[in-house]
Amino acid sequence: MRSLFSFLAFLSAAVVSALSTSGNRLLVVLEDVAEKENYSKFLGDLEGRGFELSFENPKSESLALFHLGERTYDHIIFFPTKAKGLGPNLTPNILVDFMNAKGNVLVTLSSGVATPNSLVSLLSELDIQLPADRTGLVVDHFNYDASTAAETHDVLLLPPPGPVRPDVKNFFGAGAGKDEVLAFPRGVGAALGSSELLTPVLRAPRTAYSYNPKEQAEVVDDLFGAGEQLALVSAFQARNSARFTLVGSAEMLQDKWFDAEASKVGGKKAAKTFNREFAKRVSGWTFNEIGVLRVNWIEHHLDEAVAVNESNPSIYRIKNDVKYTISLSEYAWTSWAPLTLPADDVLQLEFSMLSPFHRLPLHLDAAHSSATESAYSTSFKLPDQHGIFNFKVNYKRPFLSNIEEKNTVSVRHMAHDEWPRSFVISGAWPWIAGIGVTVAGWLAFCALWMYSAPVGGKRVESKKTQ
Amino acid sequence: MRLTQSIAPALLLLAAGVAQAASGWGFDDGSVQIAAKKAGEAVKEKISQTSPLSKPVSLGTTDTLKLSLTAKDNGKGKRPHQAFLVLQEPESGLEAPFPLTVKENGKAVAQISHKDLPVQLLLANKPLKASVVIASFGSAQGLNTPVFDVKIETDANVPPPAYEKPLRYGKQPEIHHIFRPDPKSPPKVISLFFGLAVIATLPALLIGWVALGGNVNHLSKAIGAALLSHATFFGSILAMEFVFFMYYTSWNLFQVLPVIAAVGAATVFSGTKALGEVQSRRLAGER
Repeated sequence: MRSLFSFLAFLSAAVVSALSTSGNRLLVVLEDVAEKENYSKFLGDLEGRGFELSFENPKSESLALFHLGERTYDHIIFFPTKAKGLGPNLTPNILVDFMNAKGNVLVTLSSGVATPNSLVSLLSELDIQLPADRTGLVVDHFNYDASTAAETHDVLLLPPPGPVRPDVKNFFGAGAGKDEVLAFPRGVGAALGSSELLTPVLRAPRTAYSYNPKEQAEVVDDLFGAGEQLALVSAFQARNSARFTLVGSAEMLQDKWFDAEASKVGGKKAAKTFNREFAKRVSGWTFNEIGVLRVNWIEHHLDEAVAVNESNPSIYRIKNDVKYTISLSEYAWTSWAPLTLPADDVLQLEFSMLSPFHRLPLHLDAAHSSATESAYSTSFKLPDQHGIFNFKVNYKRPFLSNIEEKNTVSVRHMAHDEWPRSFVISGAWPWIAGIGVTVAGWLAFCALWMYSAPVGGKRVESKKTQ
Repeated sequence: MRLTQSIAPALLLLAAGVAQAASGWGFDDGSVQIAAKKAGEAVKEKISQTSPLSKPVSLGTTDTLKLSLTAKDNGKGKRPHQAFLVLQEPESGLEAPFPLTVKENGKAVAQISHKDLPVQLLLANKPLKASVVIASFGSAQGLNTPVFDVKIETDANVPPPAYEKPLRYGKQPEIHHIFRPDPKSPPKVISLFFGLAVIATLPALLIGWVALGGNVNHLSKAIGAALLSHATFFGSILAMEFVFFMYYTSWNLFQVLPVIAAVGAATVFSGTKALGEVQSRRLAGER
């Protein structure tokens, strides 16, 4: 019985660890364990997806993100805490180290609770600015929930977000029903810097603005941000593909807004909230369950009529025809799937020495693709420049983990016997003829010098001797 | 086309105006004024919440745009919580909000000059769309209406502000290497003509020698005197040319060198004898 139980435990552990691509140890930072009840559906969903949740108080002395230099957790969620600081175990330095060690962080804010200093410093490190007094409230007098915030207008109802750009896959809002709305109750808006690593997931509507409810209750004199410059949910992906997500309203993850009904001002029907699915996608993206790319294999070879059938040779000659193929997979919740590119996006191959000589689109190669991978390939002629070159695929896109693959090859110049023969070059014909004539003339001269008899009898020797 | 363009927003506004007539925010006594820094006449135009100005106002580098209005809730002057002038760049949809300074009685003003505008708006090609947003807490409906267009005038003497687009990850322009052109040959006719001209010098040389009395009459004499040496010597000269020919077509240097050594040795050894015979003929006065 005991062995059966342990076997089952082992089996479930194996299934569980397969779900996120980077581990399932999730630290939940909560000040009050009673608060857990408000997020029971969200946390239950996470557990259902295979995460092992550990709850800790930020001030807890036993809390350590690293043990002997290794991460003790794979992911962290911060729920709003009333304390001004987060204690000595969660300093911004340690959090940055955690992200440098490829740990993922999800931070939730709430307008009623001032954001801890530690998180404000971490956010400014990532080029995310919060309102000055570490608190702010986003209101919109045009898109609010009439049933719960008819007077205060601080529960924003937003349509599920569309793609950030036409060439970026819509991870967070795709497939939402037409009349589904996203409730954003009592949240904080952030201003994002111009860093390429930052992407807004959810922007505020055009008429929304952020104000300080304590000091600006009567009149907004100093505006922190308004309209679409306010990011309500924003995503940051570091160069090592560690992910960080800022959710401006922790309340939107609470049970009361999951599968709830909200009524838009002026709207007749009550609309269902999209919050549960959105929370699943945001946490799934942050904890590496979606949008993770993997390179399965890379192959390049000579693509010529008399080709040597060798894979990935280390040397090519200038002007060789070469074929390059790369196989990629994308992780989608539970399994690896072939990577499909959005319509406007392309995967590009660079053939570079210092700077790229070629930058060519890679096309889907159906013959080498399968249900779990998709191969992309291209054929091209190597440049007429010898040196050390790289086949480089640098695929960095918002919301997708970074791919930077470099395969170094030498490109040699033409050997002396690989040029066309001189008799093929018509311009050389007079010179070849000249050599032939010289040879024939030399042989004729030798014969004449040795075997010619004098003409007209004997020479008059006396004249010469005198 | 132009007519429908101008009618459509007017209709929309009319509809909006009807809707707002029930209960909600609005404004009165609206005006926009462009004041030049240097002494000059200030241009002042009245604006209303029902129809935007037909002509864009232009804002020069030293000018100040001053918007003033009285916000009203259901026709009564009152201070709204949100009173913004929003400037939008029509191509990118980028917006910049400017909060109005509002008094208790709803009188509100905003002043904007070039230095207040973000650089993206300063560099806009089309006139910016200005709209007024007035709203507050409670049930009164807010107002969000376009009021006028602003044309940003730039001074030709002042260089435009530098703006560098931020880096965004996405596809990059394609690059195709430009190959150096292949080496070219002159037309084949010319090569052929000069090739034949070169070949033609050989018969000319031989004819010239024959005309001067060149012959091979002593061949039998030489063979009679030293057959082996002469055959080997002349043969080795021929063989050397053959080696050179093989080197040109297929052999490499290491195949050629031993053969040259062998042929060269044969030339030297047979040459002493053969050339000695030639010398003996000379000494005999037969050359």
